Amino acid sequence: MLEIKNLHVKLEEDDKVILKGVDLTVEAGKVHAIMGPNGSGKSTLSYVLSGRDGYEVTDGSATLDGEELLDMEPEERAAAGLFLAFQYPVEIPGVGNMTFLRTAVNAQRKARGEEEMSAGEFLKVVREKAKQLKIDAEMMKRPVNVGFSGGEKKRNEILQMAMLEPKMCILDETDSGLDVDAMKLVADGVNALRDEGRAFLVITHYQRLLDHIKPDVVHIMADGRIVKTGGPELALEVEHNGYAGILAEVL
Amino acid sequence: MAVLQAKLDAAEARLAALDVAHAGWSAAARKDAATRLRAMGLPVKRDEYWRYTDPTSLTVAAPVTAALFDAGDEAPLFNGIDRVRLVFVDGVFDPTQSDDPTTAGVELLSASTADIHWAQGLYGVLEARGQTPVARPLAALNTAAATEGVLIRVTGKADKPINLIYLHKSEHSDAILHHVVKLEEGAELTLLENGPGAARFNKVLEVDVADGARFHHIRAQGRDHERRAATHIFARLGAKSLFKSFTLTANGVLTRNEAVLELTGDDAVAHVAGAAVGDGNFHHDDTVFVTHAAERCESRQVFKKVLKNGAVGVFQGKILVKPGAQKTDGYQISQSLLLDEDSQFLAKPELEIYADDVKCSHGSTSGAIDETALYYLRSRGVPLRQAQSLLVLAFLAEAISEIEDEAIAEDIRARLEGWLARHDR
Amino acid sequence: MGNVVELDVEDQIEVREGVDRETIETVQAMAGKYKHGWETEIETEYAPKGLNEDIVRLISDKNGEPEWMLEWRLAAYRRWLTMEEPRWAMLNYPEIDYQDQYYYAKPKSMGAKPKSLDEVDPKLLATYEKLGIPLKEQMLLAGVEGADEPRKVAVDAVFDSVSVGTTFKEELKKAGVIFCAISEAIREYPELVKKYLGSVVPQSDNFFATLNSAVFSDGSFVYIPEGVRCPMELSTYFRINAENTGQFERTLIVAEKGSYVSYLEGCTAPKRDTHQLHAAVVEIVILEDAEVKYSTVQNWYPGDEEGKGGIYNFVTKRADCRGARSKVMWTQVETGSAITWKYPSCILRGDDSQGEFYSIAIANNAQQADTGTKMIHLGKNTKSRIVSKGISAGRAQNTYRGLVTMHPKATNSRNYTQCDSLLIGDKCGAHTVPYIEVKNNSSRVEHEATTSKVDDDQLFYCRSRGMDEEEAVALVVNGFCKEVLQALPMEFAMEAQSLVAISLEGSVG
Repeated sequence: MLEIKNLHVKLEEDDKVILKGVDLTVEAGKVHAIMGPNGSGKSTLSYVLSGRDGYEVTDGSATLDGEELLDMEPEERAAAGLFLAFQYPVEIPGVGNMTFLRTAVNAQRKARGEEEMSAGEFLKVVREKAKQLKIDAEMMKRPVNVGFSGGEKKRNEILQMAMLEPKMCILDETDSGLDVDAMKLVADGVNALRDEGRAFLVITHYQRLLDHIKPDVVHIMADGRIVKTGGPELALEVEHNGYAGILAEVL
Repeated sequence: MAVLQAKLDAAEARLAALDVAHAGWSAAARKDAATRLRAMGLPVKRDEYWRYTDPTSLTVAAPVTAALFDAGDEAPLFNGIDRVRLVFVDGVFDPTQSDDPTTAGVELLSASTADIHWAQGLYGVLEARGQTPVARPLAALNTAAATEGVLIRVTGKADKPINLIYLHKSEHSDAILHHVVKLEEGAELTLLENGPGAARFNKVLEVDVADGARFHHIRAQGRDHERRAATHIFARLGAKSLFKSFTLTANGVLTRNEAVLELTGDDAVAHVAGAAVGDGNFHHDDTVFVTHAAERCESRQVFKKVLKNGAVGVFQGKILVKPGAQKTDGYQISQSLLLDEDSQFLAKPELEIYADDVKCSHGSTSGAIDETALYYLRSRGVPLRQAQSLLVLAFLAEAISEIEDEAIAEDIRARLEGWLARHDR
Repeated sequence: MGNVVELDVEDQIEVREGVDRETIETVQAMAGKYKHGWETEIETEYAPKGLNEDIVRLISDKNGEPEWMLEWRLAAYRRWLTMEEPRWAMLNYPEIDYQDQYYYAKPKSMGAKPKSLDEVDPKLLATYEKLGIPLKEQMLLAGVEGADEPRKVAVDAVFDSVSVGTTFKEELKKAGVIFCAISEAIREYPELVKKYLGSVVPQSDNFFATLNSAVFSDGSFVYIPEGVRCPMELSTYFRINAENTGQFERTLIVAEKGSYVSYLEGCTAPKRDTHQLHAAVVEIVILEDAEVKYSTVQNWYPGDEEGKGGIYNFVTKRADCRGARSKVMWTQVETGSAITWKYPSCILRGDDSQGEFYSIAIANNAQQADTGTKMIHLGKNTKSRIVSKGISAGRAQNTYRGLVTMHPKATNSRNYTQCDSLLIGDKCGAHTVPYIEVKNNSSRVEHEATTSKVDDDQLFYCRSRGMDEEEAVALVVNGFCKEVLQALPMEFAMEAQSLVAISLEGSVG
């Protein structure tokens, strides 16, 4: 589904090279995890895939079902089925959470040539999905992420994911700033979305999120490259020995 | 000195080109106003309060030209609101398109020629009060030479809003309208205004809000691009009264909206707000002067401007707290969103305070659209243009929320959305 | 040091952040009114009263100036004759009779230029000693207790129209730094002066600057060569002593590439019943990667409670950040003068250059202040910050006037302005007149202003701890000003803190 080949990326601002040849293939129906120490380039990878400004791709490609993502505008990537759950969800004062969600859902439908969702139908679906994530009506009325707690923001991201039904979901440090209960709630939300046609790329620093979202494949990233790939046991190895041991072994 | 002489000469030339001879109750007020104007002269760009707006096209004696604008299939604003419609075409009242003014207790200035009238105590009186400390010559000119207007006196709660509709049908029209609104103790009225008015439009609205009265004013200055307008609101507020004015402006080569509010009774509340969306050769100036002359009054100024393609937004707002106006709560915010490199925002938010037990603040910001918010929206699949519109509406929301009537606010919001969507294509 | 003192009444009230024990002690130690109001009895030589070309020639001649300097002055004088005194400030004062002033006064004992500080008239040395500015190199400016090591500060002392002497000149010279009277610089370093004088504040800039260009008699000159970090703080102390005499000093600071200097300025004058004129010009040129900090504690005689006497202070100060990444920081504490008209400005010409302005302006009794800054953003990625604290008491009027302009080419620039006013009593005024001009969209400008009165809860809290009302007010005001006080060099911060208390004498009750 997602195929990244030899991806090289530098910062536009100061030419600092962050990704130095990332190769990664995620198949439909699978959950891949990327782990790595701070500064290894994990978040950059997620931003570059979703089309954030400020990065320059100097080499390589990233395709979703054969279509080149890197040539697309952020909204085209979204319409193509890519979703990034942000590590730091953005606050947008003045824009209601509900308005935001409905605009996004209908924009994607329109881009795909599908019929827009009626207000009634939308409301029904949102309420149902919000309930599963324990998001109350009051939170839906507030401006996007403004005044939300850390946990609320992350649940809101998962709600967006549930509503937009993407093919390829990237979760960037979704566990950061969450306590155990909040993490469980978020993980349940993610697990409910797992199915044959959908793939996940879970970016995390710690193993603990992977207790709740069980990965099929685990990659270790360091200094802008995937340096090791293995099964779920690799995450446990990180947990026990830290990154230093693994990196020493690889390098 | 040469500058002053030129200002005085310009005033003479302008007055000479206008018909200022009137019979009836307003004659004396008109004569006084002409005298005031002759003493101060017409404004020039060197005047402190015109430093950001060139008044030349508003002051020249010869009429200016403005091509007519076709709004296409756009439905008139406020159509869904049950209201009394009074239509002025290029500044002339058109009874055929209007409801009967008398049903709403409205008198036309042009038809009111008796020697004695209740409006005598207000016509040109509030304007004259508003001439110090800052001169407003175009308002004095208006009082002297207005050809039309409405005189409205409200005693109880008005049944429905009065809607003044200004149509622009002649390329060279030069309209001068002067309205007087008197809200007696405890009265309440909503006044709606929309439309460009004329190629050049000079309008004064004098509002006397007696103790406990409530006045709501919502105005939309249309998309008619080439028109020029200089408008003034002069309001005097009694104790425990409320005054709320909101203006939506979209385009227009030159708009100068002045609001001069005087809070003379304790516990009065005055809010004045504006949302402006300018594209291209657009110059929009909000000049506001709020005087607190009583205790425990509240004033709010909320002005938001979205500018692109070389549009210029100006805000000059002042809160003056007179000695003894203790417990004043004054707030003022002016913000601009510049959508491209060419646009400009020029602001002078002033405080002048002579009482100590007050809480006054102002804020002013200018900057580009929030790139992170834009990216977030796009990452959720919202196309760039639509994402921008959404953020623009969010930016304007604080000003629009100053409209109390939800149906009217929604009408304004929907209209704005429509205009922004038009640009999206 | 804790900012919150435990309180055993029901509600614990938090004293405004920044009010600490040190401040309390300083304030409690305060006593007396304007403490620099005494006069030095010294024989003074005056130029004839009034202003004309002959006076300009006389000043130039007294300073032994070359011809080009005289021509420069005369050009300014002729220009000045065509100019009108500006009246846009919110200042109300009677017309100034420019012919009823002395434009040059110097102690007779300075007739023969002393070769070193040892030759300076002991009366003059004593004057500065009494002001807390000993002109002896082994002594240091008011050392701060607790500081690891007292710092050296070089001082140029200007008494009426002349520079009395400059300390640490030799030591500075070793580092390549030139610090001397400007009259001396005109003679000794004509090329440098020619190159930079009037290049930031042109002769024709404004009425008062033009007057200064014609008649300035002395002032300080500072030149920091490329890459040099000035080894000590530099300071000029201005004293007006003679009666009916205007002081017109001119300061020129040039910071070459990659250099750094911190410069302090202090000023006082005796109590007099008549108004005295002070019209100074400060020009600062800052080249690539250089940084200048300019701090002022302005304590000219403010006049008495009735507004009798006091200095009319019309000052033009401007820094030109010509080089990329250059930096300037203006800090001012304005407590004195009957009239203050002063807008230290930053021209941010170099890309990535930075300007900062921190100001405390206190106006009590009949004082009037109209002060602020201009931040002119011309270069890309330029940054500016304005923090202004205005305090009005008595019948005083205090105005912040500022301009922030972002030119079309000053892309990606930032300005932040915070402008707070505090009112003490209901007879005074506090005004804010900012001009904001944004001509490109990648720059961000934020302006905030508030006006309020001294918090009653805070006053009560202080008084419940045994302070009298005036002490309490001074304490709270010091807290209100903390952000600016912190921007001052330590010695000045202490002096400024006590000045705040003195300036507010009689403001309550």
